[in-house]
Amino acid sequence: MWAPAASANFRVGVDIVPVERLARLVTEHPTSIDTLFTRREQAYCLGKRRGHEHLAARFAAKEAVLKAFGTGLGQRMRWTDVEIVNDVLGRPRVFLDGEVARLAQRRGLVAVDVSLSHTAELAIAQVVAIWDPPAGGPDAPTSGEGGASVP
Amino acid sequence: MALARAEIDAAVQSAVAEALSVSEDEATPDATLLGDLGAESIDLLDILFRVERKAGVKIQASELAAWVQGGISDEEFGDANGMISAKGLAQLKKVMPQIDPDALAGKLEAEKVLSLFTVGNLSELVAQRVGASS
Repeated sequence: MWAPAASANFRVGVDIVPVERLARLVTEHPTSIDTLFTRREQAYCLGKRRGHEHLAARFAAKEAVLKAFGTGLGQRMRWTDVEIVNDVLGRPRVFLDGEVARLAQRRGLVAVDVSLSHTAELAIAQVVAIWDPPAGGPDAPTSGEGGASVP
Repeated sequence: MALARAEIDAAVQSAVAEALSVSEDEATPDATLLGDLGAESIDLLDILFRVERKAGVKIQASELAAWVQGGISDEEFGDANGMISAKGLAQLKKVMPQIDPDALAGKLEAEKVLSLFTVGNLSELVAQRVGASS
């Protein structure tokens, strides 16, 4: 019998976004695209034939990252603090900036991985984050750090 | 010229109703955005962009969290288990007067705070921003 490790500090996050909902947001509020997506994300997605699907998948990924961090969009955080960029092989990679990057460093983030999928109707993202909390520091996130956040 | 409070309330109510595709009768001041009206984070963004257009006040999603937290540090606002502290609850009572801090003591998780945020609470935030910028 094999007993899986009970002490591994990992946490998953998943989110699903209706493509039409994201399309309506960026169409009705054109400036929202700069609030939500970095220049690299915009360049990648808007160059695709089904650009709104790709944008929706990246928005889902940002939400999934925050869920894997045990928080929502907290104080001083920006949606562009989480960036999803495909590498040369097409694999999506997570890049962190600003307050989200500081939170990750403070809590001892070791690695994060993301997987995306989308259809014409729905986009989904799954994230796994692995933590190695610093000695004497806060544990890996279970329910946020005590700050309020937008889910 | 700054909007009157009644105009702000109407602007927020219609922004909420349009973004969530609900009637203005449902988007009452005491309706919670996430609970009663079922808003998701993408809907909150839509609401804030509509408020900006209607009331001329730009509010970022992360500012909602900052507003309810009132400048209190994360460490003071919540405890190590992610529950809102007594100091945090006292702050929440200022911006969400409808809550009962005694009933929520030791029970309110930090990540659930915004689930108590109402249409009326958003109107108050907008009104304060309008007042500050007028």
